[in-house]
Order: sequence, then structure tokens, then C-alpha cells
Amino acid sequence: MNKKEFKEYMREHVLVLDGATGTELQKRGMPLGVCPEQWVLDNPGVLVAIQKEYRDAGSDVVYTCTFGGNRIKLAEFGLGDKTREINQCLAELSRKAMGKDGLVAGDLAPTGQFIKPFGNVPFEDAVDVYKEQVRGLLDGGVDFFVIETMMDIQEARAALLAVKESCDLAVCVSMTFDQAGKTLTGTDPVTALITLQALGADAVGCNCSTGPQDMLNIISAMRPYARIPLLAKPNAGLPKLIDGKTVFDMMPDKFGSFMLSFISQGVGLIGGCCGTSPEYIKQIRSQVTRMKPVPPDPKRIFAVNSARKTVFAGSDRPLVVIGERINPTGKQKMQEELKEGKTLEVKKFAQEQIEKGASILDVNVGMPGINERDTMIKIVEQLSAIAEAPLCLDSASPEVLEAALRMYPGRALINSISGEKSKLKKLLPLAAKYGAAFILLPLSEKGVPETAEERIQIIENVFAEAQKFGYQKHDFVVDGLVMTVSSDQKAAQETLKVISWCTNMFGCNTVVGLSNVSFGLPERGWINATFLAMAAGHGLTMVIANPSNDMLMRIKMASDVLTSRDPNSMRYIGFCWENKEEAERPRTHKRVLKPAEQLYDAVLMGDRDNIRTLLDAALREGLSASDAVEQRLIPAIMQVGILYEKKIYYLPQLIQSAETLKDAFEILEPLLAPGKKSGRKKAIVVLATVKGDIHDIGKNIVALMLRNYGFTVHDLGKDVPAEEIIRKATETKADIVGLSALMTTTMVEMKQVIDHARKSNLGSRFMVGGAVVNEHYAKEIGADGYAKDAHAAVKLAESLAKNTGDKQGGSE
Amino acid sequence: MSSVTYIEHLPAVPKRRRILNRLGYQEQMTVLDNEQARFLDQGIKQGLLLCQVQGVFGRFKISKRSPETVELDSGLIFKSRQLARMLVSSDEMVLMASTAGKEVTNRISFEIAQGNPALGVIFDAVASQAADAGLDSISKMLNTLLAKEGKRLLRRRFSPGYGDLSLCYQRILFDLLKLEKLELNLTETFMIVPEKSVLAITGIQGIKP
Repeated sequence: MNKKEFKEYMREHVLVLDGATGTELQKRGMPLGVCPEQWVLDNPGVLVAIQKEYRDAGSDVVYTCTFGGNRIKLAEFGLGDKTREINQCLAELSRKAMGKDGLVAGDLAPTGQFIKPFGNVPFEDAVDVYKEQVRGLLDGGVDFFVIETMMDIQEARAALLAVKESCDLAVCVSMTFDQAGKTLTGTDPVTALITLQALGADAVGCNCSTGPQDMLNIISAMRPYARIPLLAKPNAGLPKLIDGKTVFDMMPDKFGSFMLSFISQGVGLIGGCCGTSPEYIKQIRSQVTRMKPVPPDPKRIFAVNSARKTVFAGSDRPLVVIGERINPTGKQKMQEELKEGKTLEVKKFAQEQIEKGASILDVNVGMPGINERDTMIKIVEQLSAIAEAPLCLDSASPEVLEAALRMYPGRALINSISGEKSKLKKLLPLAAKYGAAFILLPLSEKGVPETAEERIQIIENVFAEAQKFGYQKHDFVVDGLVMTVSSDQKAAQETLKVISWCTNMFGCNTVVGLSNVSFGLPERGWINATFLAMAAGHGLTMVIANPSNDMLMRIKMASDVLTSRDPNSMRYIGFCWENKEEAERPRTHKRVLKPAEQLYDAVLMGDRDNIRTLLDAALREGLSASDAVEQRLIPAIMQVGILYEKKIYYLPQLIQSAETLKDAFEILEPLLAPGKKSGRKKAIVVLATVKGDIHDIGKNIVALMLRNYGFTVHDLGKDVPAEEIIRKATETKADIVGLSALMTTTMVEMKQVIDHARKSNLGSRFMVGGAVVNEHYAKEIGADGYAKDAHAAVKLAESLAKNTGDKQGGSE
Repeated sequence: MSSVTYIEHLPAVPKRRRILNRLGYQEQMTVLDNEQARFLDQGIKQGLLLCQVQGVFGRFKISKRSPETVELDSGLIFKSRQLARMLVSSDEMVLMASTAGKEVTNRISFEIAQGNPALGVIFDAVASQAADAGLDSISKMLNTLLAKEGKRLLRRRFSPGYGDLSLCYQRILFDLLKLEKLELNLTETFMIVPEKSVLAITGIQGIKP
């Protein structure tokens, strides 16, 4: 049954599917833990009998028993190399059961592995795995395909593409959702539907997951956006494990009572999943006999999505902002990172734009010196994993676009397709194959038309072509083409005419990239913002802009209110409230004090940025270096210690204050009288994380704090043998040796070091610390003290140094 | 049969409260001014971007048990009274691992070396919690999968080095989960590198009707 035949058939018929196969096989002797596909081939009569019972109970269709028939699953039983053959034989068995009149659906199901970007299996590998299975099922004579129990939208996409690229048979996809209404990888029902129907599924729906009641909610959520029939295969209620067996709690008659509701919600294919049997199918058949399917009645609305979020657009909805910042042009740091294969800068821009209000992220990585295709794939993978916002794939290269569209786990927006014939010819089939929405650029080989009328002509031409690929008016968005007003003041009016025509006459969505309009003029922000307001007034639905531009975002929010796109102005009020909060945050008072007074606060607040300026100013005003130390800096750091002990300060504040103090001392040290310099040099400390242990952050912070408090520290690093610690302590005449260990298995090494030191008559005092160490353990191994954190370590070191007598420190 | 599943981008968002706890922040006690609050927020955000939380899990059939041991189908024996007690009602053992990745670990050292230790410790706290959140995320995912079988994971998790389960079992878990695929290594003393990585053992039990 090819796609066209399926579509026609589904207009008139409700297809009754089968019920559970796995549990039926188990009832009839299949042991747990075996490969079901192989067991069925060894016991073919059992499957044929089950499927005949389903046929007799009223199933129009049975699924082939190939749920685990892909190479990855079969390989777990050493049968990977027999994939094609197994699938062919199993399809033939189902055909035998159903005879000539019944339908056999080739069943594809999860591989058990996760596909990139979520998992580690390359997308193309997954497509190939399914293609191999599809070939076997085609050899076995299946009538169409079902992709079922999918928990990851990307795996469903891989299977769907595998079928599409192998044959013209119809293909249905059913996903599995949890109780929160999400797939395992976080896709909601509407997003799954929009992605899969755009990619070419002939029916979409849900199986397994839950009982009929909850599944009805999932189907109802899909219904308003479905252009195709929906599919439902619920479980027989909820599963429970009783005496080692999974059982379900709903009886057939109760199960059957939900069927009319399913049909009224647009379900055209209905069956049962786990726990159901021919008895349940009999109930379904009795309920749906003589019923005709309810045809789809989708909202005509623009939608794009990521794997986890759908963004809708329309002139009655808030203006959608497409963040334009992921583009290396003019961004040195991003360019350098992309050349090095790094993506942190891109991720930062993604996060920042979403926080500032972008709903979609434009991704353009075109720049010299990189492989644009590989870079685009990498960025799309990363952003798909970390950001919920759908992506707008922006490239002049069809090859780059195809690579990105193929692996993008949602419905992307292409930026852009113009009226140039050569581009249309390449890009429209590409967009259609992957179900992408696109930005229609109304320009032709002759360039950008000056008048709105000429642009409108191009829009109509492109739409006529796009219709041949199944596109409707709400599947694309027209770029109004903003030209610069400094060279032609009528340019803005022409763009507005296009927007107005699209909104009021033609009936499609519009987008503009703002910045061009103000090119060559001073104070461009005013022009851009005003133009945005005017365009919104003409019905603009999307804008490509920098959402960090506060003025633009304020205009956008206000425009949404004035064009009735923000019911009760709630979004506007929320936006104002957030910004008001920001403006009204109390400021610190340090700027009103004199520089000398501010020194204390600078250390207290860890103000490293201003400490040098403040010191310079304070010294110019007559504060002596020694007074700065004794009257300002030392009291401040003492206060920091007190605040930390009281938990009013936390670790980063303690460190920042200590670092500020260190910066201040570096400036003051040369200015202090020789006699005063000794005030900071307290003692020599050798620090190490003991042998076998590789954790060193705590030890590093202790080293840093000790240095900031004037100790001379020799940090030997991590995984340091006892001999090396003793050697260094002896060589430097260390007053104190500090040992760190994080694990119970490595803390014992501390004792080895201390024992070794005592035998070597090393005079140093020992202090220990680390997550698993405590006071008691310190005493037990003969250490002189235990410090629970960096601040305590400083206090302990000061105390130990005092006991041994302060001494001048050596150089590190 | 047992199979191991790898996840390259775990949806693991650590709880902010736990990150703050790690940094010594105490609710209703610690006071941050605007700049410090912004520094902390930015640090956490950047730290999260630096983490690429990856994970792996595998289900392994338990074939035999005694009060001191748990034996897998493969013949592998875990000697630990505490582990055996935890798994007393489980027919399957689940092994899992999660890592915050190399980039964040390198960046922690870099920031400390470059004189930005306050940022370094924030990244450190984020990375530690991200690795832990990775295990939580795997558990959540597994529970969703297991619910279809009427089963769920035990609430408790156990790790080598805890209680009476020797740290040397890190090697066994490492090999069973093929952790080199996540670019992890094990030192001679059974420490995982990069260090912001965690291993755990738990069991599967039926959902009580």
C-alpha cells in the first residue's frame, strides 16, 4: 500500500490493528530471555496461530514479529548478520497468517541505543540499521510500515528516513510517552507530531506508554495540529509485577469503551499494546464497525520545533524573535573558537539570547578557514542538546543545509529560499524531504526588486512551486526584504507594503532582518526600533534581531500589546516587572566613601577590579603603605574570616577577598619599610595530595589561601609519593607539611608520610584535610592538626607556625 | 543478555541548591551583593555550559547470591555484605556511570592557575553536581523504561569505595561499562579520570501492586 493508496484508504476506513504479540508468545511457551525473533522462527506455528486469532477477532492489520529485528538488537543474541533473512522470514509468516485480504505492517522498533545528539550512535548508522531491516521486510512482502514504541524522536526520524529512502510504501510512526506526557528524551506529543508529519509520516500516534484514558489525552493534544490520521495502541491499563510476571489491570470491555472517543479525536488506526489479546481486539472491532474516520481538521498555523519545544507564529500571536547572534561575522572570539573546533562561545550566545527573549536561534557558521558543513553539524548537535529553542539554519550552501537538516531532531526553519530558479530547484526538494519550514526571500536572478508589486509576484511564483512539494501558506514565512532608507527613503514603505499584503491579502507570515534599514545613518537604533514598531503594526510575525538590544525588545513587547497579541497585556506586565526589579536593585555604598575608607570594603567585597585604583588614590591622599596594611587590609581580611565562619560568606567570597588582599600586597610590598615587610612572611608550608589520589581542588584552594595570608607555599601537586614529600620538606626546611586526600582508600597514605617523616627526624608539623578525614583520624595518625576547609587551614597553619616560632620565609 | 547503553548528552541539570551547598552557601545566612550574586549566577551558567554530561548504564542478571556475595550471570562475583543486603530483592543489577567531561575539569585547573580561583571553585561545584545529576537523570530514564515491565530501580545506590565494597571494583565496573568509550580512564589506584565522574550500582525490583 503506497502512500497515495494509504491516504485514499484512510479517508474511508478505520483500520483495526492487532494487540500484543510478546505477551501472547510468552503465554504460549516462549521463555524469558530468549531472542523472540529466533524463537518464533523455531516455532512458526505459534505466531501464525496468534496472528490468525487477531485476524479472526477483527484485526485488519498485524505487525510483523520484528520488534527486536534490527541488527543492533539481534547482535545481542549473535544474530546481527542474519538481520535481512530473519525479517524476510518473519514477514512471510505474518503474510501466511493474514492471507491475501489482511494487511501486514513491517514493524520497526527501538535499537535500545541512543542516537546522536542525545546518544552516541551516529545518525547515519541508525538510518543504515533500519534500512537493512526494511529491505528484509520488503523481501517478505509487507504492505506498509509501522515504526513503534519510539522513545527518542531522533531514532524515530532515522527509521522514518530509512523507510522513505527505501520505498514508497506508507509509514506510520507511534511514539511512547511517560506519565508526564513526554518521551524518554523529552519530546511532547505536539512536537513529535509536527516533526514526524513534516518529515513524511502517513500517520502518527502513540502506543504502549499507558492505558486508554491517559492515551486519549495525548491523542487529544495532537489532534488540533494533525494533517494526517492518528494512531493509538494503548496498553491494557497499568503494568504490575506479580510473581515475577508483568500483568495489566484493565478488562477487555472497559478497554473497548474508549474506542469511540479515540475515533472522534481523529484516530484512524486503533489497536492494543502490552497486555491486550484477541479478546481486546474483538471489543475494538465491535465498537468501530461501520464507523468512518473523522477527517483531520488542523489549525493553519506556522510551527517549527526542536526535539523538545514547538514555536508557533502568526499575526495573532506575540512577535517571534529569531536571535541573530550565532554568526561569526565580526566576532573574533567566536571565529577563533570555531577554527579550534570549540563551541563554548556559541553556547553562551545561545543561552544569552534565549534568556533575553529569542524563541528561535539563527545559526550561521559561514567563515573562511573552517569546514562549514562539519562545523554546522557540530553546532546543531550541541545546540539541540542544550537549548530548547528551535533552530533557523542559515547557510548559502545546499550541502551544508542538507547535512544539518538531516540530523536536526526537529522541524527546522531554513534561512532562506529565494525566487532564483537555480536555488529553488535545489532547495525546495531538500526542504520538502526533511519537512523544514523556510524563509521565502522575494528576490530573483535580477536581484532585489524595488517595488512591492514585483516582490509579490515572486512570492506567488515561489508558492506555486512549493505547493508541488506539498507546502501550504503556513509552512513558510516571507522576508519583507528591508533595504536601506539612507539611499532610498521609499524602501521602508515597500517592505511594509509586502508585509501588509502577506498579512491581509495572501495570508502568510512575515519576517524582517532589521539592521539593513538604518545602514549609513547615525543613531541607527532609533530607526531600527521605529521600523520594528511600524512593521508590527502592519502584521509582522517574526523579526531577526539581537534580543540583547533592550530598546528593540521593549518595542516588541509594547507592540504585542498594541496589536492585540498579548492577551490582558500579561507578557508585557511580566516583562516590565522583571526589568523594574533589575533597575531597582540596591547598589553597594562603597563608591560614596573616600578611597582609603573604600580599601576595607574592597577586600571585604573581594573587589579585585578596583583595588589598584583605590590604593593609588589612597596613597596619593596621604595614607601610608603600612597604615593601609594594618588599618585597612588586615582588619578587612579578619572580618572576612569571621563572616565566613558565621556562614554569612561562602567559599567564593572568601577566595575573592583573599585574592584582593594578595593583589593589594603585591602593590604595597615594595613601599613598605624593610622592618614592616616581615609582617606577612609567616612560615614555609609544603603541600601535597598523597600518593594514589588525584583530587586536588581542595588542596589548591588551601595553597592559594595560605599564600594570600603570607605563607611561602611549595605545592607538590597530586598523587605525590611519601619520599618526595619528605625530601621537599627537608630541602625547604618546611615548618608545616599539609596533606590532602579525598578517598578512604588513599587517606591511609597520610599515615605512611607521617611515619616516614618521624623516622627521618623531620621537624615539620603536619596538618591534614580532605573530604573523608576528620579530627579523630588526624590524631590517630599522629598529625598535629586537622582543617576542615581552606579558612580553617589558614588558622591552623597560623597556630602551628606560632608554636614553632614565626620565621622568615624563603622563596618558592 | 546484557547490553550497555551510552548517552552523549544527558539532560542533567544539577539543583542550584546543591551547588550552593557545596560552596558553603547557607540559605538565609549567606549574603551576596548584586555583583557577587551576578558573579555566582554567571559562574554557574558558564560552568553548566562547560559540562557535557555523558552517561552509560547496563542491566546485568544476578544468578546467585549469599549474605556476603552477589554473582552475575557472567560469573563475576561482588564481595560485599552491604551490597548483597541492598540487592536482596533484586534479580538484576544496574551499573551506571556519569561524567561532566574533560572540558570543565581542564577549565577548573585553568581558572585556578590563571588567578580566578573563585570562578574555579564555582565550576568545580557545578561539575561535581552535574556528574551526580547525570546519575539521577539515568535513574529517571531507567525508571521510565522499567515502569513498562512493572519494575523500578531501588532508591539506594552504592559505589565502590563505600562501606565494605572495595574500590578495586571500579576496575570491574569500568570494564563492564566500557568506560573508555566516554573517554574515561582509571588510574592504578582505581580513580576515574577526569575526576568529575561517578560510578554507581543499584538493583531492580518490582513495583508493589
